Amino acid sequence: MTGSVRLVADEVSRRVRSAVEVARDALDRVERANPVLGSFLEVSREEALREAGNVDERVSAGERLPLAGVPLAIKDNLWVAGRKATCGSRILEGFRPSADATVVARLRLAGAVFVGKTNLDEFAMGSSTENSAYQVTRNPWDLHRIPGGSSGGSAAAVAARLVPGALGSDTGGSIRQPGACCGIVGFKPSYGRVSRYGLVAFGSSLDQVGPLTRDVSDAARLYSVMAGADPLDSTAADAPVGDPEGALDRGIEGTRVGFLEEAEAEGLDSRVAENLDACRQAFERAGARVTTVSVPRVTAAIAIYYVIASAEASSNLARYDGVRYGPRRSEADLASLYVETRTQGFGPEVKRRLLLGTFALSSGYYEAYYGRAQRARALLSGDFDRAFGSADLIVCPSIPSPAFKLGEKLDDPLQMYLSDIFTVPASLAGLPAISVPSGLSPEGLPLGLQIIAPRLAEERLFAGARAFEREIGFTDEVPHGIRSILS
Amino acid sequence: MVDDRRTVTSEIVRKVAELSRLRVPDGELPLWTDQLARIVSYIDQIAQIPEGAFGPPATLSATPVRPDEPRAGGGRDALDRNAARQFEGFGVVPRVVGTGE
Repeated sequence: MTGSVRLVADEVSRRVRSAVEVARDALDRVERANPVLGSFLEVSREEALREAGNVDERVSAGERLPLAGVPLAIKDNLWVAGRKATCGSRILEGFRPSADATVVARLRLAGAVFVGKTNLDEFAMGSSTENSAYQVTRNPWDLHRIPGGSSGGSAAAVAARLVPGALGSDTGGSIRQPGACCGIVGFKPSYGRVSRYGLVAFGSSLDQVGPLTRDVSDAARLYSVMAGADPLDSTAADAPVGDPEGALDRGIEGTRVGFLEEAEAEGLDSRVAENLDACRQAFERAGARVTTVSVPRVTAAIAIYYVIASAEASSNLARYDGVRYGPRRSEADLASLYVETRTQGFGPEVKRRLLLGTFALSSGYYEAYYGRAQRARALLSGDFDRAFGSADLIVCPSIPSPAFKLGEKLDDPLQMYLSDIFTVPASLAGLPAISVPSGLSPEGLPLGLQIIAPRLAEERLFAGARAFEREIGFTDEVPHGIRSILS
Repeated sequence: MVDDRRTVTSEIVRKVAELSRLRVPDGELPLWTDQLARIVSYIDQIAQIPEGAFGPPATLSATPVRPDEPRAGGGRDALDRNAARQFEGFGVVPRVVGTGE
């Protein structure tokens, strides 16, 4: 058993286990489970063992490393120097970045070991990881169901205990939604808390990097290492990160926890509604003052999001044209190089968003769609500001229903988009939000509660999340879909 | 939530595909048009937010910039390793002038 992030770091630091032993154990588990789960696009055995050997040397030399020997999985839209970075797309087949992403460099310095790159929806566009050009990833709780997305490979790898932690990226819920579907913690920091240098851009006003872990304390550990200003990303805020780990045991006695009124509107899945009642009781037991808050424009969030994120994607993905990297599909002339490379290189969901984004930005439609969506986004942010006047934390379900079956929503993009209905609002407002496992549905599938804090109030968020986690007492059992493979 | 208004027509899909440097085969045009029309008609709910709800446009603060100091990059070799095609240190693209046609 690999153990938690903190346990591994502690044991490797005290030389109870070597980083090489831990890495070998994780790699063996990945090797056994990956043919079934499909979490990893690339496993780097040699490099990981070499990195682990370096960590053991550093520990022997007396270095104190907060992530000593912790094996991590990295979503394949984040750069690890020399490893593949396909973004789940054919258009980046063969591309190998020459540098580490800032988050990867910081984790490496802290002693982490990189086991491999994980599957995702192409360019992080999707909620089920079914849009990867390479493979399907399965939910460890039920192998016929989606792991959520777009960081589904990272979520499945952590839920199946292959690695104690992983990195994902979250543009509209891509860390929190798969975290909830797989029964683990998924944390999206405030916009500007974590550098995006080396994260392949999708929606630049929304993208954030964050951890997926088995508990809140592990998420705080990884976040503490990654967060903070970076000269390579001017959007990374020059604001003190504070002490997220120190905040974990503050408790929430007297904290005003506002349940989002709009999330409990008619039509909420009965399994989710029932679970929400249990969450309310958990907060009350923890000593919080439970209230209800309204953020009226959350009902328009999906509409606003799909205009803004698609518009930004259509601009960001214009760079993929076959000129500088990736396979070329035609060299008859420059126009066909562009068109054929993109037409054959991008999958259907990416094309759909490029068409939608280009439409929203095109002459005659720009003001009605892009301009109006931007103004509506400002209204939504204002709604959150007002709601935080009467609540210290805002909570709602992370997902509208438990993980659905593979293929169930592939033919209906709009239904797929609505999977993110509870996660998109915090993304639009740039707020920190965390999904914490909140129980199992009657059919044994995980559910998650999302906790949202004001911008840059991560310490408050971690205190609330840890108190909730302790009270709700989510099962620590190995997910049943993967049990026989790992036993 | 989705109504039957069709802001998106096949002509519009053809036009935005061209702007996006994507080829949409004729046989796929009805499907793309239908899917995008459904999505856009859902998005049209933002048109229902009353104009009076919007405040004055936000004043954006300038993007912070870092000091303009030279730093060592990864070097030319690092970039060349991912190049689709090279010749004597140059990236090669299809001929755009002097095709002889």
